[in-house]
Amino acid sequence: MEIVVCVKPVPDAETRLRSSPDGTTLDIEAVKFVLAGYDESAVEQALLLKESIPGSKVRVVSVGPPPRTEEVLRASLALGCDLATWVETAPGVAPDPVSTARALARGVATLPYDLVLCGKQAGDDEAGVVGGALGELLSVPDFSAVLDLRWDPATSRLRFQRSTEAGVEKWEAPLPCVVALQQAWNDPRTAKLPAILKSRKMTIGKVPPEPAPASSGSTRSTKFELPPARTGAKLIDYKTPEEAAQKLVKLLKEEAKVFP
Amino acid sequence: MTGITLVVGELHDGNLSDATREVVGVALQLSGKEGVVGFLAGTSARSPAAGFGRLGVARSIVVDDVRLDGAVSAVVAHLVVQAADSVGADLVLVGGTTFGRDLVARLGVRWNAAVATEATALTRTGTTLEVRRPIFGGRATETRRMEGGHAAVALRPHAFPPASESPVPATLTPLSIAGVPEAFWAPKRLSVEVAPRGAGPTLGDASIVVSGGRGVRSAENFPLVEELAASLGAAVGASRAVTDAGWRPASYQVGQTGKAVSPQLYVAVGISGAIQHLVGMVSSRVIVAINSDASAPIFKVADYGIVGDLFQIVPALTNEIKRARGL
Repeated sequence: MEIVVCVKPVPDAETRLRSSPDGTTLDIEAVKFVLAGYDESAVEQALLLKESIPGSKVRVVSVGPPPRTEEVLRASLALGCDLATWVETAPGVAPDPVSTARALARGVATLPYDLVLCGKQAGDDEAGVVGGALGELLSVPDFSAVLDLRWDPATSRLRFQRSTEAGVEKWEAPLPCVVALQQAWNDPRTAKLPAILKSRKMTIGKVPPEPAPASSGSTRSTKFELPPARTGAKLIDYKTPEEAAQKLVKLLKEEAKVFP
Repeated sequence: MTGITLVVGELHDGNLSDATREVVGVALQLSGKEGVVGFLAGTSARSPAAGFGRLGVARSIVVDDVRLDGAVSAVVAHLVVQAADSVGADLVLVGGTTFGRDLVARLGVRWNAAVATEATALTRTGTTLEVRRPIFGGRATETRRMEGGHAAVALRPHAFPPASESPVPATLTPLSIAGVPEAFWAPKRLSVEVAPRGAGPTLGDASIVVSGGRGVRSAENFPLVEELAASLGAAVGASRAVTDAGWRPASYQVGQTGKAVSPQLYVAVGISGAIQHLVGMVSSRVIVAINSDASAPIFKVADYGIVGDLFQIVPALTNEIKRARGL
């Protein structure tokens, strides 16, 4: 199976968020970027599929500026991806989920693919748009919120579950398609030192930037706001558990007004 | 900009869903009664589509076909673009469910729309539409300006009041599935395992969430958390420690690698508050923490805290809540 996995560099979860000087976006100065959580799961899923289907290859694609884009591609190579493609962005272009998908699609189009995998959303913009937009760009179906993805060689179909508001849905789908994973492995594989060293020497294919079609809509961040810092909990004074319970219920009713 | 908004509806138990009613409310505010058109696609969609009329939306487009049961988002997007263009809409609004997010992602390409998900506020000034939305797991908020001739926005459920009943005579215009490419019908939804009735609300959808953590100590103790949740009519969640230990399945997990929730009330029981958990719940409106360790980081983000033995506090709290609610 020819698998392409799309990955995104996002600020590490422990990053202290600050607004840029003009107040329109996140200040990325001194921010440490890492592979987005669900994308890391997608890499793990891609490698598990590769291991179970002989002759498979996993190619990783990312879009964005240096150095963070190259870093997540090399991190994916170190985990076991076979080849990396970097779709470069023009300097100063602010990212938008659909334009990201357009750029990724140009990268994917240079590669053979049966299955395109990505995380269901990234922990920075939380948009969850790239999978669906990629499906439309590649003219194939896409599936979001996917769990328990398997390949059934007897029927040549993917079998998987989707976790939606309706409940847990069971699906089967032929290739090619795009799958946006919700699956979380709490302990995905980690790269070994020799693989990390090898990944540093591997060649990364590059796809040059290209402006979006003139007719396409886009979005631009005009304001970035942080909530007022939480001041810490009002701790309830009590002598017995019953007293604590009564005081809390009273506060939820009368002060917070969230008692059902 | 035409100022016409197409509201893409969703069904729940054979009626327009709560999320759809919220979307109608927003659409009416932005475009006025004359400027809103309803859209509903599904098996037996005709009769629930009349629900748009009860909310004050006179015109609706309906695709009623048995093949739409379990159709992929590619099919829905195909139909929505036809409907939007037929009424000259420049904005498509939909509830921020899995269905809605999948749809707007497709419209970003198929309809060349500016796209936003998880919108918690929309403002139209002249021809400019701006969308406010939480980012970084609710740790920050951004405002995005939608640029170009079309926009498609998925609204965060519970973020807007539903449209009130204001019946008008409704006209339904049928739309056919004939033009949908055959390849889009190949994937098959084999089954839907519906969450059992009476099992309480689902995590993503609940206005109250009660979660248990490592402090609960064992799977056998977890019903303590579930009984507290039941007394509040809340969904049950868990920290990663609980799902890693197998006390409850992974679907319970709230946090960076689980679900992100933002209910009105979040009760953390025996959860210390590692950053991986906090990013999944910190945007909750009111947070209550019950933990034996006064220095636990959860107390820094909580509004109300009880420092103490959860095995004593939680049963007392469940009893008090039942008493206060007359249960």
